[in-house]
Amino acid sequence: MTPRARAAPDGAPEAATGVAVEVRGLSKLYRRMAPGFRLRTLKSAILERSLVRGLSPEESVAAVTDVSFSVARGEAFGFIGSNGSGKSTLLKLVAGILRPTAGEVLVDGRVAALIELGAGFHPEISGRENVFINGAILGLSRREVEARFERIVEFSGLERFIDEPVKTYSSGMYVRLGFAVAVHTEPDVLLVDEVLAVGDEAFAHRCLRRIDEFLAAGGTLLFVSHSLPLMESLCDRVLWLEQGRVQALGSPRRVVDAYRQAVAEAEGRLHQAAQQEAAAEEEDEALRWGSGQAEIRAARLLVDGEERYHLRTGERVEVALAVAVAEPLDDFVFGIAISTPRGHEVWGTNTDLEGWRPRRLAGAAEVAIACPSLQLAPGEYCVDLAVHARDGAPYDYRRRALTFTVTAERAVAGVYAPPHRWSFAGGVEWAEAGEEAP
Amino acid sequence: MLGRLLLHRGLLLTLTSRELAARYRGSLLGFFWSLVNPLLLLAVYTLVFDLVFQPKMGDARPYAVFLVCGLFPWIWLSGALLDGTSSLLANAGLIRKAVFPAEVLPMVSVLSHLVHFALALPILFAALIGSRLLGFDVGGWTVLLLPLAIAAQLPFTAGLALALAALNVHFKDVRDLLQNALTLLFFLTPILYPPSAVAHLPLVRTVIAANPVTPFVRCYQQLLFAGEVPGPGVWLQVVGLGVLAWAGGSWLFGRLEDTLVEAV
Repeated sequence: MTPRARAAPDGAPEAATGVAVEVRGLSKLYRRMAPGFRLRTLKSAILERSLVRGLSPEESVAAVTDVSFSVARGEAFGFIGSNGSGKSTLLKLVAGILRPTAGEVLVDGRVAALIELGAGFHPEISGRENVFINGAILGLSRREVEARFERIVEFSGLERFIDEPVKTYSSGMYVRLGFAVAVHTEPDVLLVDEVLAVGDEAFAHRCLRRIDEFLAAGGTLLFVSHSLPLMESLCDRVLWLEQGRVQALGSPRRVVDAYRQAVAEAEGRLHQAAQQEAAAEEEDEALRWGSGQAEIRAARLLVDGEERYHLRTGERVEVALAVAVAEPLDDFVFGIAISTPRGHEVWGTNTDLEGWRPRRLAGAAEVAIACPSLQLAPGEYCVDLAVHARDGAPYDYRRRALTFTVTAERAVAGVYAPPHRWSFAGGVEWAEAGEEAP
Repeated sequence: MLGRLLLHRGLLLTLTSRELAARYRGSLLGFFWSLVNPLLLLAVYTLVFDLVFQPKMGDARPYAVFLVCGLFPWIWLSGALLDGTSSLLANAGLIRKAVFPAEVLPMVSVLSHLVHFALALPILFAALIGSRLLGFDVGGWTVLLLPLAIAAQLPFTAGLALALAALNVHFKDVRDLLQNALTLLFFLTPILYPPSAVAHLPLVRTVIAANPVTPFVRCYQQLLFAGEVPGPGVWLQVVGLGVLAWAGGSWLFGRLEDTLVEAV
């Protein structure tokens, strides 16, 4: 990141920097389009004498409800949330494209909204003329566009095609030109809605570098993205929106973590439910077999001492079993295996392999195996549990007795994620943080 | 409304030239089409009416020249209204995705059709001069007052376009209604005939007198064809209608504006 003054994490924006965007008690109701409403005609409206009534909302859907926040000048402020949580509506309200149903938005300075790149491009006319039109739509005068034209074209990398009609452009070229015009409008407040997802890697980097420069020059950024790592690296504060309400607001690390956790929990619930369903449906030999001389009554996953089925790489994990036998046994082994849902075994062990010599198992027993730090890569995993004789004859074998999800901040290839450290010596050099790689 | 349009005049002009440039882009004759169209129209009317039918329209001779004096302003009006009505829906992307003053769009339709009208004027002037050389008593210095008539028709057309554009977003059949209404209105406006031709039909005369487009067309015909300065009554009517349509149109647009973004 470019070094620059950062607002105190979690805290109110520093008073000295001033407030660029202030949102107070903002709500937006969308009119619900009853089936057929859009096809309503003037004729029917007049016939039913509902010309005025028809235009007032009958049923409405809250897209944003009572949202307040303020963004300091020079701050990078991110919005996260699932699809349909109201992020884009909120951005459009700040931009002034939509009008709030309640509450107010105060913006200090010139706003540019990158919600759709290349808005107003006309396919029949040249890139050059479209730059002027797009600039005018974004609020630049002809002279202002002329002054920036060279830089815009250079940034877009479309020098050779600038006089061709835009209809001959690929969608990537279209977006590049659109972004180039938008970032050169030199706004005080820049609103960006997930537009960096288009275009190739090189262009995305150029866009990010440009956004960094913009922030370094004291610009204010409001940013919507589904890329959580980008959020963490770019933003000073993040607002998590769920169903139009503020779920959390604060430092990116804290809010993004909470969001990840919630997503994993929701997914966890889903596959716990799926797992129970599957178990109920087929309590059959495919998932469970054995003589029944011993029985695994229950199995739980304990993460840091609480029952949970989503965890982060490196957390303390314990698998606890409740076992019961009808007749005492003197030959028994407890086993565990972790595998991916596709059936690749990741790790397996049992008491016999680790030298535990059985003497007697009678009545009810609790068995637990703990890993102080489970070094698994992000993904889904299944746990098989078994009680069997030392020769391998199963008493009770439970396939996929448990399933759990692992999340981590960074993507990892494979299934193993040990703690590690890089070190370098000799002719190796690395760029400083925030500096662009050549 | 006027203030906001002035604020966005750069955008208005840029979009108008985009409209004009895009229309002729890729065509062989380019802007010449704006000249060729009225020229062909005039030639066909001359052939059909002055040489074949030779209608008895009193002092409206040569008939084709009389016809185009009222027809060209009418084409401006009807073209601007039809395009203006669908302008918001046609540019829905702009309104939904950009901070964009929606009122600019119907104005672009009005201005681009004004340009077409202006480009047709040389043909009209040539026809007037030609007719004079052939010994017809048409036109005169009053042609110089033409900008006044245009200045009155501009707010009239613009006001109607604003109102229709906003209504069309909510009621999709406004454009169809308009299309039919314009066809009907065309025959109820003294373009094909001078008002004197219907003097014997009291009902038609009343309807024509009540038609708000009539004073504009009469104004053009008097200035261009008859070479007369229209009386104060006509000026009062065109200015009054211009102000009224503008005020009404911008009021209605303002009322419906808040819901535009969601409805387009």
